[in-house]
Amino acid sequence: MSKEKTPRRKKDPARALMGPIMLFYFLAFFLLGMKGGNWESFLLSFAVPAMIYIGTFGISRLFPADKLLLSLTNFLCALGVLILYRFSPQRGLTQAVNYGVGVGCMILCAYVVRYMPGWKWSTVLMMGGSLLLLLLPLAIGTEKNGAQSWITVGSTSVQPSEIVKLALMLCLAYLLSQRRVVLSVGFAGACLLILMLQKDLGTALLYYGVTLVLLYASTGSLSLVGVGIAGGAGAAILGYQMFAHVKRRVAIWLDPWADVRNAGYQIVQGLIAMVNGGTWGVGLGLGNASVIPEYYNDFIFMTILNEFGVIFGLIVLCMFLFIIIRGIMIANRSRTVFHALLATACSALLALQTFVIIGGNIKLIPLTGVTLPFISYGGTSLVSSLCIIGFLQGIASRNEAGVHADRALASLGGELP
Amino acid sequence: MISEGYELLSLFMRYVFIGLGILILWRAYRWMRKDSRAYKKQMRALPDAGLVGEIVDLNSGKSQPLPREGMIGSSRACDIRIKSPGVLRRHAMFAFEEGKGLKVTPRRGAVVLMAGVELRSSAHALHGTHLQLGDALLRVRLFAGLKVPQAAQFQMDLTEQETEDAPWDEDAMPAAFSQPFAPAEEYTPVYPPVQQPYGMPYPPYEEEPQEMPAQPQGMPYAENMAYPDQYAENGPMNGPYAPYSQENMQQGMPEMQPMQAYQGEYPPAQEEEGEDEALPYQSPVNRRRRRSRP
Amino acid sequence: MKQLKKNIRQVGICLCALFVLLAGYGAYNMIVNGNRWFSSSVNTFARQQKKNVIAGDVLDRGGVLLATTVEGKREYAADEATRKAVVHVVGDSDANVNNGVESFMASYLYGFNMGFGERLSSVFRGDSRMGDTVQLTIDSRLSAYIAGIFPAGKAGAVVVMNYKTGEVLSSQSFPNFDPMNITYAVKNDPQKPFYNRAVQGLYTPGSTFKIVTAASALQNMQDVQSRAFQCTGIREYGPRIITDAGTDLESGKITQHGQLTLLRAFQVSCNNTFAGLATELGDEKLKKTAEAFGFNDNFLFRDLVVENSSYPTSNRNEGEIAWTGAGQSALTASPLHMCMIAASVANDGVMMEPRLLLSATSSQGTLRTEFAPKVYRTVMTESQAAVLQEYMRAVVTGGTGTAANISGVRVCGKTGSAEVDTQEETNAWFLGYLDEEESPYALAIVVEEGGGGGSVAAPAAKKIFQWMLENGYAD
Repeated sequence: MSKEKTPRRKKDPARALMGPIMLFYFLAFFLLGMKGGNWESFLLSFAVPAMIYIGTFGISRLFPADKLLLSLTNFLCALGVLILYRFSPQRGLTQAVNYGVGVGCMILCAYVVRYMPGWKWSTVLMMGGSLLLLLLPLAIGTEKNGAQSWITVGSTSVQPSEIVKLALMLCLAYLLSQRRVVLSVGFAGACLLILMLQKDLGTALLYYGVTLVLLYASTGSLSLVGVGIAGGAGAAILGYQMFAHVKRRVAIWLDPWADVRNAGYQIVQGLIAMVNGGTWGVGLGLGNASVIPEYYNDFIFMTILNEFGVIFGLIVLCMFLFIIIRGIMIANRSRTVFHALLATACSALLALQTFVIIGGNIKLIPLTGVTLPFISYGGTSLVSSLCIIGFLQGIASRNEAGVHADRALASLGGELP
Repeated sequence: MISEGYELLSLFMRYVFIGLGILILWRAYRWMRKDSRAYKKQMRALPDAGLVGEIVDLNSGKSQPLPREGMIGSSRACDIRIKSPGVLRRHAMFAFEEGKGLKVTPRRGAVVLMAGVELRSSAHALHGTHLQLGDALLRVRLFAGLKVPQAAQFQMDLTEQETEDAPWDEDAMPAAFSQPFAPAEEYTPVYPPVQQPYGMPYPPYEEEPQEMPAQPQGMPYAENMAYPDQYAENGPMNGPYAPYSQENMQQGMPEMQPMQAYQGEYPPAQEEEGEDEALPYQSPVNRRRRRSRP
Repeated sequence: MKQLKKNIRQVGICLCALFVLLAGYGAYNMIVNGNRWFSSSVNTFARQQKKNVIAGDVLDRGGVLLATTVEGKREYAADEATRKAVVHVVGDSDANVNNGVESFMASYLYGFNMGFGERLSSVFRGDSRMGDTVQLTIDSRLSAYIAGIFPAGKAGAVVVMNYKTGEVLSSQSFPNFDPMNITYAVKNDPQKPFYNRAVQGLYTPGSTFKIVTAASALQNMQDVQSRAFQCTGIREYGPRIITDAGTDLESGKITQHGQLTLLRAFQVSCNNTFAGLATELGDEKLKKTAEAFGFNDNFLFRDLVVENSSYPTSNRNEGEIAWTGAGQSALTASPLHMCMIAASVANDGVMMEPRLLLSATSSQGTLRTEFAPKVYRTVMTESQAAVLQEYMRAVVTGGTGTAANISGVRVCGKTGSAEVDTQEETNAWFLGYLDEEESPYALAIVVEEGGGGGSVAAPAAKKIFQWMLENGYAD
């Protein structure tokens, strides 16, 4: 045997990872509690770590789950709850409730991907359904932040494009696994067109990016990707000429200091918040990031940089990176083209979304209306990000089952050892 | 408004938070590395992982492992590479479907003959089916444990139909338990496992097919199969892994004998079900715990 | 599948590269622009924190107190003349002066760099929070003297630098004002005393730009030193006419220099010769040399905020290029940058970064940071610099800058009289330096509407150098 068994229990990596995560949130909420002296925070300092524990180990009892992915995801979700709670307890608790709903959807998505036998009819249904859903806000929707992409149902507002995002990934992965390139490009193009009509350019950018990534992964032809990029650049220039608010956004991106108090205020305050934080942060509870408009969804990363510092910001970026690398690993281990493409699409979507929003925050690219996955405040955003993780979980458990089956096949006849 | 004490405490805690964050990252990274290495080791121990059989080039005698899904063609990027005149760079796609066989779909402009008949849209190949791509003559061989129809002839799908209600079994049980493979008139696709380090269900061969020694009737292997020298003395019936006894073959029901201890190289057992025992690593994916069989 | 997996791996690498790009850009921004953004007036957090801190002192290089906090209010140097002289460097408490030390070095003055341990110990001792003491490279006596001798009533700027280390000894803008007595008249003075002309003012350099043209000629043309140039006093280049100083077309008086070498042309500041050189070099080569000297650069100095100098890139016809050689056309530069150019010639072709911060010390006495000279860029080779040094010496010994000559001292310089469309009189420029081992100082003076560089700016430079040599700068 290769390894000696020591009499002591060997460290379980899952518990080793969970330990610091739970300690982190216990200390953080405890600290917040000492700031205001409210008992709710102290309660949360026990509740949140417990929720993270259940969210990781509990779920993995329901179905074979990828605990590493779950741990990192839960850390990020709890970070969102923490930051939101620090500024507004109401928002923090709403986010926690959204998280619960999201976890339910995640389990559902995982089961769907795990057990769905064939995707042909579902794809047709989803294609039709998504186009309809995307058209819905144009008909009955409300306008928010210049993009008409929300539907208000009662007291909550839903963004259909987030749901369609999931359907897009499934449809594209299926179509491309069947080598129906033209149809997939057509479907993606139709979705993009409707989004342009909605003026939701950030989500359009994400759809476009995921489509390009999937096209490259499935066909491997750089010429196709080149054409895609050229088309995208052309569309961007066209959009710049056509839409006034695009022109405004680009002008603010190039020089936000020109109009510090009005148009450029948001970005400037975001950058100043980052600089105020410095390397180590100003300290939890001591910052004033609430001067940034939309500090709780679009600019939440700047808020984190303010209170926790640039080093911690890099740590959060690394966590996102680990999640994406894990997604790629899951894609590499899959056994069918469809699942490999789906896993790639999930990773690419998370990566692109994170890149687009943080890039907009630090003035690398113009600001768009996407949210930071897992951390931003927003029900649909959190739920759809968790659903993406659910897809990855489903594919990961299929991979494991496949390895199981292979082993059974190989031994053929004996009981599994 | 904020007390000086809280301020100092918060200033102190920021280092703690950053330290914890780095610790979390470090542990996550180590876990990923460990899992990746263990997976690679596992895959090395299962060289057939993800494969459903092999494709034999009858002209050259060479065989290539057949993955579950992929492409046949002459380019290097294809999963099955056939360098022969008449074979396009990307000639055909194949995908294994449970219960139906290996679905072969020729690409546009490519001609694929399955058992002599030109394919129009796609068809399912079973074990032993002959394919002709251009000048290359290929033979499909599928693993014993897979669920494929028994008939020696292939089914040609004149219309492309995919039934979505194929039964899905998550833990593919060893076929021998669930489905009997009766010896057919010509030959059956069942290969008994031979003594090999990693339990490959059939031996690979590289030479021309040789004349087989006379075998008792109903022996479940094909005539063309040749065994390399190392297995010659053991032979299919003589080795410690010959689970097919005479009586069983006559009944048409192969009885599996339990595996005997093997004294050769064998990779150590990768999986332990009991939770109390310390594991050399813990895969991030929680395998469903199996209750131990009585 | 194999190809698919390979593609997926490539996709993974691209996605990781995106993240690296994010982290890199963020870090770059923080390092380069961090202080600049922190000191911005829109930073409400810093402003709030400042209220809880006793701001630290600002000292000059000799230890003279330039700014301090007394009972919560900010007070400046005791002597009014000194106060007014250094106001554009130090700034005032209402941030009327852009990026003065009060706002730009707020991170030191308000104790934002205090480590956790220090905070803890200061709390235990019961002290209130105090900022760091900042010592500048400025010499307040020199600044007071310069303010005294600058032509009264005129606007302009003076910058004095140590060309070996880059320390800025004086940076002044005229008119100046008293930061402790900002009256309505000051706020509404049409000459805008809050404006820091030394670093924010963009002027046409005039003949002082011939240093760059001469450097470009030395770099790109062989044997240019031995060539004979012919100055006919007036010459057409495309739509423009090049004339020399003193030429009055209406009365028919044309200044002609006749046959000259490059040295002589530099000495007498012959526009025709340098216009000819610029045309011969071509816009590309001249621009390249100018950019080597720092034109069109985005100045991101760590201690100062300086406006970017620009070499024009549009509307270039023959006439414009010719006049650029002589230092007119759409060229702009700040006085600080021109001082850096003179300093680079003196320093054998190495341009040092202008520094203002000598040291920052915490209230407990721990040194936070100390000055170290930093090279900004190397603008030309040593041999080329040696030639230019010779030329600049010739200007002062026998050329347009003789008014700056001090007997027994090697003063070198270049005069300039920049024409400005909106002004009757030219701006008087003088760039000069002391070629002495123990007194490595360079200066730049510009007097708006001052007249001739040799007649107005050069004598001022002579007085400044004399004062410096007499008052402790010759050891």
